[in-house]
Amino acid sequence: MSFLEMNNVCIGYGPSNARTEVLENVNLSVEENEFVAIIGFSGSGKSTLISLLAGLEKPDSGFVRMKGRTIDQPGPDRGVMFQNYSLLPWLSVYQNIELAVKQVFPDMKKGERVEYIQHYIDMVSLTSAEWKKPHELSGGMRQRLSLARTLAMKPEVLLLDEPLSALDALTRSVLQDEIIRIWEEDRRTVVMITNDVDEATIMADRIIPLTPGPKATLAQDFKVELPRPRDRTTLNFNPDFKALRNRVTKFMISVNEEAKLLRTQRNLKCPDIQPISLARVG
Amino acid sequence: MKYKILKALDIAGLKVLDPVVRLAYREEPREQVRKIILFIAIPIITFCAFLVAWAYIAPRHTTKSGEVPTPSVVWDSAKNIWVFHQRENIKEEDFRVEGEEREKRIAEVTALLEKLKPELEKADEQLNKAQEQAKAQTQQAVAPLMAVFEKTKEQFKQAESDRKKELNELAKTIKDGDTAARAEYLKKVDAHIKQSDVETEQLQVIKSRIDVVMNPKHEGLIAARTAKNRVAEQVQFLSKRLENLGDNNQQQKVLAAKQALEEKKEKFSEASGRALYFGAMNIHRAEDRLGRIETSTYAKPWTFPAQIVRSLGCVFLGFVIATIIAVPIGILCGLSPVFMAAMTPLISLFKPVSPIVWLPIVFIIVGGFIDDPEQAPVHPAFLSSAITVALCSLWPTLVNTAFGVAAIDKDHLNVARVLRLGFWNRLFKIVIPSALPLIFAGLRISLGVGWMVLIAAELLSSSEGIGKFVWDMFNNGSSQTFAQMFVVVFVVGIVGLMLDRTMIVFQRLVSFDGAPTAI
Repeated sequence: MSFLEMNNVCIGYGPSNARTEVLENVNLSVEENEFVAIIGFSGSGKSTLISLLAGLEKPDSGFVRMKGRTIDQPGPDRGVMFQNYSLLPWLSVYQNIELAVKQVFPDMKKGERVEYIQHYIDMVSLTSAEWKKPHELSGGMRQRLSLARTLAMKPEVLLLDEPLSALDALTRSVLQDEIIRIWEEDRRTVVMITNDVDEATIMADRIIPLTPGPKATLAQDFKVELPRPRDRTTLNFNPDFKALRNRVTKFMISVNEEAKLLRTQRNLKCPDIQPISLARVG
Repeated sequence: MKYKILKALDIAGLKVLDPVVRLAYREEPREQVRKIILFIAIPIITFCAFLVAWAYIAPRHTTKSGEVPTPSVVWDSAKNIWVFHQRENIKEEDFRVEGEEREKRIAEVTALLEKLKPELEKADEQLNKAQEQAKAQTQQAVAPLMAVFEKTKEQFKQAESDRKKELNELAKTIKDGDTAARAEYLKKVDAHIKQSDVETEQLQVIKSRIDVVMNPKHEGLIAARTAKNRVAEQVQFLSKRLENLGDNNQQQKVLAAKQALEEKKEKFSEASGRALYFGAMNIHRAEDRLGRIETSTYAKPWTFPAQIVRSLGCVFLGFVIATIIAVPIGILCGLSPVFMAAMTPLISLFKPVSPIVWLPIVFIIVGGFIDDPEQAPVHPAFLSSAITVALCSLWPTLVNTAFGVAAIDKDHLNVARVLRLGFWNRLFKIVIPSALPLIFAGLRISLGVGWMVLIAAELLSSSEGIGKFVWDMFNNGSSQTFAQMFVVVFVVGIVGLMLDRTMIVFQRLVSFDGAPTAI
C-alpha cells in the first residue's frame, strides 16, 4: 500500500443534463518522500486533482486515501499551495504565517513561535519584509510567502498547484531551485502540478502526464532517474535529460492531437461568410 | 516629509490639497497649477457664481416673512446666532460665579452699562428724529392724495344719494298692476347698486395707493431703528447679566435662603406652644427651599450650537443602534443562504419605509416604556428620534455586510478549511476582515442617510436639535428667522460633509488592497 493513493476516481460538475466529467478513472499512487510532478494542459482538471488530494472536494466515485485512510476533509497534514497564492490581504507576511502556525501548533509558546515563524520567513528569504502586506509584495515574494506558510504547517504531503506559473522566467527558476533546496533539506512527499516539461524534469522523481480533458485521466508515468542535486546549467547538456524531456514533450503533443481530433468531430459547420471591404462602402 | 504630508492628506480624504503641497515643494509646477485651477479654483468660482445668482434672485420674491434672504443677510443671521449663543454662555457663567470674581464682573458690567447709556439716549434721539422726519415726509406725500380721496368720496356720496332720491321719486309714479313699469324699475335699482359697487372699488384703488405711500421704506428710519435695536439689545443683555450677578445669582440666593433659615431657627428656639408647631413647619419649608436653590441651574434656552451638538449625539446613538443590529444580521445573511432567504422579505418590505412613518410609531412605543418624560434618563423624543434614525439607516449596512460576507474570496475560505479553523476563528480571522471594507462602505452610506433622516425626525418629534430649531424658526415666521433657516441649510450640509469625510478615513484604514474609495 502506498503513502498517498487515488483509486478509480471520477468527478464532474454541473447538473445531470449538462454534465462535464472532469476526471475519469484516475489512479495514482505516490510513495513516501517521493516528488511527483503531474503535467497537463490548461483546463485538463489539474486543479481539481489537487483539490481532491487536499480534500477540498470529494470524488463522485472511487476514493482518495492517505496512509490507508480515506480523505474526506481538508487538513493541515496536506499543505496546499494554491495557484493564486490565496494569502490573506489584510494580514502582513508575519501574520499570515502566524495564523497557520497558531492553528496547527496551538501549544507552542509565544517566544518559540516567534522564532519558528522567523525561521520560515528566513527560509524563503523574505527577511525584512515581515510587516508588509501582500499587496506590497511582488509576485515572486507572494509565492514565497505562500510556500513559507504551507511549509510552516509541517505537512506530511506538500500539494503544489502550479506554484510558479504566474511568475516570470527568471523568478521562476530561482524559486524552482529554492523549492528543491528546501525539499532536499527536509524530505517530504510532494505532488506538484505544472504545465512546464522542463520544470517537471528538473524537479521531480516521476512525471505523470494528465491527458487533456474532459474525462481526463493519468497516463503512463515517466521515471526521472537523473542524479541529485541537479544543476540547471549542466543539465541542459545531459543527454539523458534531453532524451527524457523530448519523450515527455512528444507524448504530450501526441495526446493533445488525439484529443483535438476527437473534439473536431463535434465541431459545428462554419457559415461561409466573406468580409466586405469597408473601403468601397465608405 | 513631503510624502508624509501627502499620505496624511490622502488618508484624511483631503486629496484636493495634494497639488498645493506638491507645488510648495516645487514638483512639476505647471502640472500642479493646472490641478489647482481644476480642483480648487473652478469649484470656488462656481460657488461664487452660485452666491451671485442667489443674491440676485432672492430679493425678487416677497413672502409673508419678508423677502427671501440674500447671502449677506444669511451671513448676518449666522453671526447673530453665534452672538446669542455666546451671550447665553456668559449669562450662565454669571449665574454660577462666586466671590471676588462676581464683584469684578459686576464692576465691569456696570461700567459698560454706564458707557452705553449716552449711546442709547443718542440712538433714541436719532430714532425719534428719523421717525419725525419720516412722518413729515409721509404727510407731505400723502396730503395731495388724501385730498383727492376725500373729494372723490364726497362726489360719490352725493351721486349715490341723488340716484336714490330719483328712484324714490320714480317709485311714486308706478301704478298698481303695471308689471312692465315694475320690471323697468327693478332693472334701474340693479343698475344703481352696480354703479355704487364700481364707485366703492374706485375709492379702494385710491386708498391702496395712499397705503403704499404711507408705508415707505425710509432708509434713514430703518438704519436708525437697527442702530437703536443693537444698542438696546446690548443694554438688555448687560442688565440681565447684572441680574444674574446680583439677586439672581445662585450663591446670593443660597446665602439669602441660609439667612432665612437661621432666622426661622432662632424664632423656633424662642417659640412655645402653638407657635412651636408653626416654627417647625417654617424651618422645614426653609430647608426645602435651600435644597432646591442649591441644586438649581440657570434656565438656559437651547442655542443653535447646543442643538447641533445634541443632533450629533442623537445621530451617533441611532448609528450605533443601527450598526449593532445590522452588522450581525448582515453577517448571518452572508453566511447562511437559509437565513438570507428568511430575511429577504423583511428587508425588502421595511427598507423603503419613510422615516415619517416610523417616527410616530416609534414615538408611541417608546412612550409606552417611559411614564414621565421629565424624570426619564433620556428624553423619549430624543430616544425615538435616535431609533427612527437607526431604523432608516441600518439597511445599507445590512445589505452591504451581507454582500461582503457572501462575496468572500473562495480561496480565503479554502485556507480556513485547510487550517481547519473553527466557526468563531473563521468568522473573526477570515470572514469579518475580508468583508470589512464593504461593511464600512455600508456604514458610510448609513451615516449619511441617518443624518438626513434625523433632521426630519427631530422636526416631527420636537426633540431638541437642528430639526426643532428649523421648526421653531418656521413657526416664528419673521424675516430674521427665515434667514436663520438658510443658515441651517449650510450647517447641515457642512456637518454632513464632515461626517462623510470621517467615515472615508475609517474606510481607508480598513481597506487592505489600497483601493481608492469614492469621493
